[in-house]
Amino acid sequence: MKALAALLLAGAALIAQSAPPVNSWPTYNGDYSGRRHSPLAKINQSNIRSLGLAWVYRANGALGGGGGFGGRISATPLQVNGVLYFTMPDHAWAVDARTGREVWHYQWTSHGGDHIGNRGVGIYGNWLYFETPDCNLVSLNLKDGLERWHKPICDLDQYYFGSMAPLVIRNHIITGVSGDDLDRPGYIESHDPETGDLQWRWYTVPQKMGDPGSESWPSEEAMKHGGGMTWLTPTYDPDLNLIYVPTGNPQPVIAGKARPGANLFTASIVALNPDSGKMQWYFQSSPHDTHDWDATQTPVLFDAEIAGQKRKLVAQASRNGYFFVLDRATGKNIVSAEYVKTNWSKGVDSKGSPIPNPAKEPQLDGALVSPNQGGGTNWPPPTYNPDTGLFYVSASRAFSVYYIYDPSDKPEGWGGNDRGGWGESMIQAIDPKTGKVKWTHKWLDGGRSGLLSTAGKLLFAGDGSGNFVALDPASGNPLWHANLGNSVTNGPITYELDGTQYLVVAAGDTLFGFAM
Amino acid sequence: MIHRNGYNSVTPADCKLVSLGGNLGIRKSVCVAALLVSPAAIAQPPAGAREAFQKVCAACHAIETVTSQRRTRAQWQENINSMIERGAKGTQEEFALVLDYLSTEYGPMSPGGRGAPAAPGGRGRGAAFSPGPADKQVIDEEAANRGRKVYAAECITCHGTHARGGDRGADLVRSEIVLHDRYGSTIGPFLKKGHPTQTTPAAQLTDAQIQDLSHTLHQEVYNTLRAALQIQNLLTGDPAAGAAYFDGAGKCSTCHSTTGDLAHIGARLDPPAIQQRFLFPGGRGGGRRGGGGAPSTPVMVTVRPASGEPITGTLLHLDDFSVALRDSAGEYRSFKRTSALKIVANDPLQAHHDLLDQYTDKNIHDIVAYLETLK
Repeated sequence: MKALAALLLAGAALIAQSAPPVNSWPTYNGDYSGRRHSPLAKINQSNIRSLGLAWVYRANGALGGGGGFGGRISATPLQVNGVLYFTMPDHAWAVDARTGREVWHYQWTSHGGDHIGNRGVGIYGNWLYFETPDCNLVSLNLKDGLERWHKPICDLDQYYFGSMAPLVIRNHIITGVSGDDLDRPGYIESHDPETGDLQWRWYTVPQKMGDPGSESWPSEEAMKHGGGMTWLTPTYDPDLNLIYVPTGNPQPVIAGKARPGANLFTASIVALNPDSGKMQWYFQSSPHDTHDWDATQTPVLFDAEIAGQKRKLVAQASRNGYFFVLDRATGKNIVSAEYVKTNWSKGVDSKGSPIPNPAKEPQLDGALVSPNQGGGTNWPPPTYNPDTGLFYVSASRAFSVYYIYDPSDKPEGWGGNDRGGWGESMIQAIDPKTGKVKWTHKWLDGGRSGLLSTAGKLLFAGDGSGNFVALDPASGNPLWHANLGNSVTNGPITYELDGTQYLVVAAGDTLFGFAM
Repeated sequence: MIHRNGYNSVTPADCKLVSLGGNLGIRKSVCVAALLVSPAAIAQPPAGAREAFQKVCAACHAIETVTSQRRTRAQWQENINSMIERGAKGTQEEFALVLDYLSTEYGPMSPGGRGAPAAPGGRGRGAAFSPGPADKQVIDEEAANRGRKVYAAECITCHGTHARGGDRGADLVRSEIVLHDRYGSTIGPFLKKGHPTQTTPAAQLTDAQIQDLSHTLHQEVYNTLRAALQIQNLLTGDPAAGAAYFDGAGKCSTCHSTTGDLAHIGARLDPPAIQQRFLFPGGRGGGRRGGGGAPSTPVMVTVRPASGEPITGTLLHLDDFSVALRDSAGEYRSFKRTSALKIVANDPLQAHHDLLDQYTDKNIHDIVAYLETLK
């Protein structure tokens, strides 16, 4: 299994320049960059019409929110040595990547927790890692799915839960925590791959007055309960040796009266050293958020020429409706632009962060806000295509009314919510050099899926009618579709085995493999 | 029991329907029963309700995550609203049926509930799959009420009305001792040892009082969860300004009449429902009355094939690849979309959607205040 570890490391070394290895999909995003762009082109614009179903795997046999009838695969499968590995809450599966046959199925006995979704696994050598809703990091043997150990990563009594796909960097298993019910602090951890022991923990909110960021909080009490969960797998630049961690919304979620200030480092992109957990820089996507707009959307890494200069960039289409491009070595803002029209900010400040309009914070009698709580986008992964130079994201333009329910001086937890809504869904193709939307493809019936682009001049997405769709990345025109009977629920992946290029996508509790 | 201390979701009006009086415990049961038989609710789910529930809800999660819950109609409405925001798909009729189904089959008094309504559901998932531990404390309302008296006598001065602390005492809602507690298991030993600050002597409480207090404190924790509270008051607008907007800039009077379709709207809908209804007429109302019952407004579509007569009907489905409608004869028709096939869809609610970019929040509050006067 040394070969596999070597392969994963080789994949890591490649990512600064290129893309996922063609014969595997070894990390959540295929590579460390978060681009979800494959160099494979056997399936391309000229032959896409003959793409057909190769196999189906229904991940049933699991009860409750963890799967079975009505379950939802939101995990991006990993594919290593011809086997796919994916999860639903409390469950992990290994499935033959050529045939869809089950290799093994592991079930965790749950002690509770929010079963809203699980993003998948991390792989290191011959070991697999995933998080459970009841706050455990579980390590399984890749070949048979037998448990090696499990370690607690959070406290279920504090309403934390696990949902993130762990990120493997050298000998670090990076884990995040979810949960925005009670007022607890978010953090991200690194664990030893052999023992699961803690290597470091970095809190997303300062832990004592005087620490960096504490100036953006009214009190130690407020910031130590200030939220900022780490829902999403970070991206990584091996040359700079930095991980890019997107952080969640502050707590209390809606009623922010008792936490005046920007509330650092919530709703931010934070660059950390993966060996020490030390922060290098931060950029805040949503200062003093009161709309449940976490910034846990993939920070996508790519290089491009900006004003005649080759730059190392990180870009995020954030839940608040803004698209940001930063220098990923320094965090310095280069582009801030709306990718859907919004109504909540008074422009951007000198650092490129939007300035919230207090009138559009939640109100006792309601404030009409766009985007709604679901956001301009959400967790489903975007893609960056180096061939077109465009950033693609599943976007929504939606309205709802935000209310304060708890008008007291110290609201806690939520203290309000949004209601109702009207909206429309689309794919936005954004030019990251300017932040301008190059083209829009509106879905007529909703739709919000993960995206994948390939060198075959194809962009894969799901609409709201259960169609898995290939679009022309230059124009957004649909080129091919297959109705899966359920909307796409994860980010599609692609790989080549024995000369055949496969596309794998999840819809509901079922995984579909497509090939020529 | 469905009410939470300080946030009573059973309205006095519901209780008056069957004002039998009697002792407190009986009155509460009667109030809950009144909800179930009141005109707002239905004793049996209507035809097709279970099917709608299966179709709409099971698309994303397992049935039992929903059916292990017990909630009032208003709480189910809140859940459904939140699910719609999260992408639940269905027609207007289907969501109304889902609400009827859940309200009648899984109301507060329905058998088999895991954890009763006082247990925090949060996002409408069952006890085992809702946020927090599966063995979370289930509130005994009577005990919590007794505990509130203990709290008022022994704790409130330093820890505050809702246990959120202050200058003199810790925030108990955020206390790990409280969050780890079950029925007094950690609060009891802590109190018996004396307060860590040692500024006040340990309260001399019996085990029963500690357990009651535990229910009170957990209730305060649950009251901070996202689905715990409700809209307070949104009648802040100016009715005269609302009337002016209605007849003027908003052009509402182009299609609506306050003596016609909107006559007595203030008597039929509560302010939250009015607000939601005119902002999002295709969506679901958020009020206690009328929620989920918005009239359906079908989109009419005309499909013109390359040859042959155009077909007009009610739009059933439209995506990039196909269109489906029900024609005037009631026949289901579907077409593959090609460049030769011309489609004209007319959404009668488009004017409402367009207004979302035009309203100020003041306009919105004025309109609510105006419509609320139409009793």
